[in-house]
Amino acid sequence: MLVQILNGLVYGGMLYVLSVGLVLIFGLRRVVNFAHGGLFMLGAYVGYAAYGIGGFWAAIVASIVVLGIFGIVLDRLVFRALQKQEPMVTVLVTFGLLMVLEDFVQSVWGKDLLTFTTPPSLSGTVAIGAVSFPVYRLVVIAAAVIVVGGLSAWLKLSRAGLYVRASSVDPVTTAMQGVDTEHLSALVVGVGAALAGLSGVIAAPLLALSPSMGSTILIESFIVVVTGGLGSFTGAFVAAMVIGQLHNLGVVFVPNIASMVPLILMVGVLIWRPAGLLGAKA
Amino acid sequence: MPTRRQVLFACAATVALGLSGVASAADKAPLLIGVPTALTGPYGDLGEQVRRAVNFAVDEANESGGVDGRKVQVSFLDTQAKAELARQQGEKLSLGGYKILTGSIASGEALAIGPMLERWDAMFVATINKADDITGKSCNSRLFRANHPDYSDAVTVAPWLAARKEVKWAVMGSDTAWGRNSGASFAKAAAASGKTVVTDNYASLGSNDFAPYIQKITDSGAQGLWVALAGRDAINFATQAKQFGLLDKVTTASVSFVTDNTVKTLGENSKGIYGIINYSSTLDTPENKAFDAKWEKKYPGTVPANFEGEAYIGMQLIFQAVQKAESVNPADVSKAMEGTTFHTLYGQSLMRKEDHQLVVPNFFGVVGALNGQLRPLITNTVPAEQATPTPDGSCKM
Repeated sequence: MLVQILNGLVYGGMLYVLSVGLVLIFGLRRVVNFAHGGLFMLGAYVGYAAYGIGGFWAAIVASIVVLGIFGIVLDRLVFRALQKQEPMVTVLVTFGLLMVLEDFVQSVWGKDLLTFTTPPSLSGTVAIGAVSFPVYRLVVIAAAVIVVGGLSAWLKLSRAGLYVRASSVDPVTTAMQGVDTEHLSALVVGVGAALAGLSGVIAAPLLALSPSMGSTILIESFIVVVTGGLGSFTGAFVAAMVIGQLHNLGVVFVPNIASMVPLILMVGVLIWRPAGLLGAKA
Repeated sequence: MPTRRQVLFACAATVALGLSGVASAADKAPLLIGVPTALTGPYGDLGEQVRRAVNFAVDEANESGGVDGRKVQVSFLDTQAKAELARQQGEKLSLGGYKILTGSIASGEALAIGPMLERWDAMFVATINKADDITGKSCNSRLFRANHPDYSDAVTVAPWLAARKEVKWAVMGSDTAWGRNSGASFAKAAAASGKTVVTDNYASLGSNDFAPYIQKITDSGAQGLWVALAGRDAINFATQAKQFGLLDKVTTASVSFVTDNTVKTLGENSKGIYGIINYSSTLDTPENKAFDAKWEKKYPGTVPANFEGEAYIGMQLIFQAVQKAESVNPADVSKAMEGTTFHTLYGQSLMRKEDHQLVVPNFFGVVGALNGQLRPLITNTVPAEQATPTPDGSCKM
């Protein structure tokens, strides 16, 4: 059972790193970014390309940097231009962007499935009690902890973080106080995209790389964001951890409906608290 | 030395003959083939293999003057391996005139398309879909299968399974009609040889995380593992199972897993995995050798993979049936397909009249090195009649 709980932490951690980027972007830009799955996928492929040149750590750095810059460009050219449009317009545009990213990756790397080898220094297993557990999965948990800690510190201790939190609650009033929300948004979308890239490269040694890999995980990250409460960083963390555990325990105890368990949770939470677990407090 | 008049006559005759040929081809309606297949999603790489093989067959046919003097045209629509979408795309293709359908991946797709064929005035030739029901209780006069059903795979794995010393087995399948069918067939074969399935697990299509299933299998104490996963799911599972050390601890056998593409993607992680090989480019038939050579010419540096071979066989059947029917009307082509013996990559193969199942041999093997490259290697061939047992009577046309 301990291993299943650890597996839940791995899955929840991976979902959190991806979903928190969505939360950041929604908080500042009020954009439900359907292209986020595409950013995750692009991060994995950029990491794949960089891995061949400089190894695993170079892959992580390359994904963060490339996706971070891509996020800033995305904010300048797309999100900013769409900020006065109806929400449905941004949904359609970002969905289109997801397809463009998939086609781009397909034309560069092809449609064949690719694998990203676990770096030798992080491969193998460690004994936890009587069972063995892959070292790389512990690395995923560690990465999620670093993101949680780093993001919390940035949001709570820095001036930019203060502005981000304020803008997430009320962007108009925040702007009236003299905060340059346009520059802040570019920064936040850049950070959100970089986190999507990071989650892509971290997930790559666990998953087969394919152009449509972002679409499958996007639904799960939306479940996390909606369950946690749109715009709530803490809510996303709580929801990701709960869904990670339910995903694993569901397979053990209710295998026939395991894939429905996260959806049942989301529906239950939305009936109980329509704004999500911690949506109102965001 | 021919005279000037003779040369002019010869030229005129050649032009006239050529024009008559063009006129004849132009007179006949083209053969329109619709391919509702998974171009994206978890089976996207399988759909890509179908696309390559179908395009290969169409180009080959057109370069040799068409089929029954008709130009062959093909249209692909993405189904994402979803049954409902496959039904919609099948209808769209049929309404657009592409009434001879083939190439879907998931069994659910074929089972969704099958009942609609009469209404669409279409026909469907399954080439990847494995669920027994397709040529069993869901069979119909417009539905055919060129590939191996699950029960054929069960017959093929049985001798190998009986000889194994592992008694406790686990099943890891896809939560689809095919995955569950394959798991049930394996459990039946295991029981017949005195083995037990101690845990069966079915993950939804497109699963990202197989860790809880891997742990369940480890905890079950299984000594052997039967895997019925394909495409991205197969790679995700194998990658994660290798990280947990599961593939090193248990004997692994599989279906739709030991394929050229999966082996190429997994590399060393796939070495020693046993499995059903429904088609292999190493098949020793003159038809297959010719196919291999042509394939290498069109796609240099590659060999036709499992699903490419199967999709191509489906196209061979369609072309030969159109030739026989001298028509592209799906009702006529269906009629021409029933009970006919076709020239396929396996040699001469009968399309059984009773259930519309092509009677073909099946193969079992293991991933090993061939010319320094890891490949699925055939170790046991089950002859066609044995690999495709007599229909059980569940198909009522």
